[in-house]
Amino acid sequence: MKTSDSKRKLLAVFAHPDDESFICGGMFAKYASEGVDITLVSATRGEMGRRMGNPPYLNRETMAAAREQELRDACECLGIGKLIFFDIRDKTVEFADEEALTGRIENLIRELEPDVVLTFHEKLGGHPDHCAIGKATTAAFRRSAGKGALYFITFGDAMEHPERYGYTHKDVIKVDVRDHLAAKLASFRAHRCQTEIDEWVWLPDREALAHLGNHEYFLKGNRDAPQRVYHDLF
Amino acid sequence: MIKINKPEVEAELRRFVGAEVYLHSEATSFVFVRNFKVLVNEALIAGEGGSYRVALRFDGHGWLRMEALTHYEVDGQGRLLLAGYDDRGRMHVALHAGKEPFPE
Repeated sequence: MKTSDSKRKLLAVFAHPDDESFICGGMFAKYASEGVDITLVSATRGEMGRRMGNPPYLNRETMAAAREQELRDACECLGIGKLIFFDIRDKTVEFADEEALTGRIENLIRELEPDVVLTFHEKLGGHPDHCAIGKATTAAFRRSAGKGALYFITFGDAMEHPERYGYTHKDVIKVDVRDHLAAKLASFRAHRCQTEIDEWVWLPDREALAHLGNHEYFLKGNRDAPQRVYHDLF
Repeated sequence: MIKINKPEVEAELRRFVGAEVYLHSEATSFVFVRNFKVLVNEALIAGEGGSYRVALRFDGHGWLRMEALTHYEVDGQGRLLLAGYDDRGRMHVALHAGKEPFPE
């Protein structure tokens, strides 16, 4: 493992518990293992989710606390050192005061001075909460005018074909996470109420691990910035 | 949450008749309303075989009706929580009633 002289820092600003694990858990585990200081924001507690365990053991009123604990456990699996909730109700991020939300994220960026900021793409996020937190984080990043780099997380291996989304391979960072799939699987299992319905997650480790891809893909948020390598966010 | 026992839920619903009640109501994929406050005039349950309808008549002129409810619980704060789950634990509908507001 390489070590750096000054501690590298990563800030991820997402919408729901499980975004960090399901979308890019391998990346978190990889950089945590390299000593990167990781802060995760979850705008909501995912308390309006539909999956209540299988068989169901949650209801709408017990869900927030359960998912908060699951996320804390997942952070432990992935090596995410600091977790911040914004206490916005699930499914209402796009209705939150945009200026206040952007300001809050900007303050966080100024305070932490992260080398890398990760969030959702404001158009390709796929869920209104994702797009809204992505839009606010992107605006906050631009305003903070920090030294860091902005990347958007993406789903599965969709960015093997970035041209379908109006991007090129030069906009895509492809991170090899194959050495960190055990941690990623553990984080899936930490989000128990969400993954009990997915039988593959609970297969014996070797079979379950075969369901996880070897790479995770990130889109450059500052497209004009020079990119040294295309397999590393730092 | 346990499977709905109709006479028991009927009795729990009756506790709210004549009271100011805060409601959380949702059709999970489409709509939720949290903390609307009504005076409950009648509280009724219908159905059999594991899937039930519940209707509240309120404020002398209103109705709330929900269907596909399968499970219920009276939680530690005396709130009646009703929900409808599918056979893999996914929630479709919920109807919660309490005498205090639910956390926003």
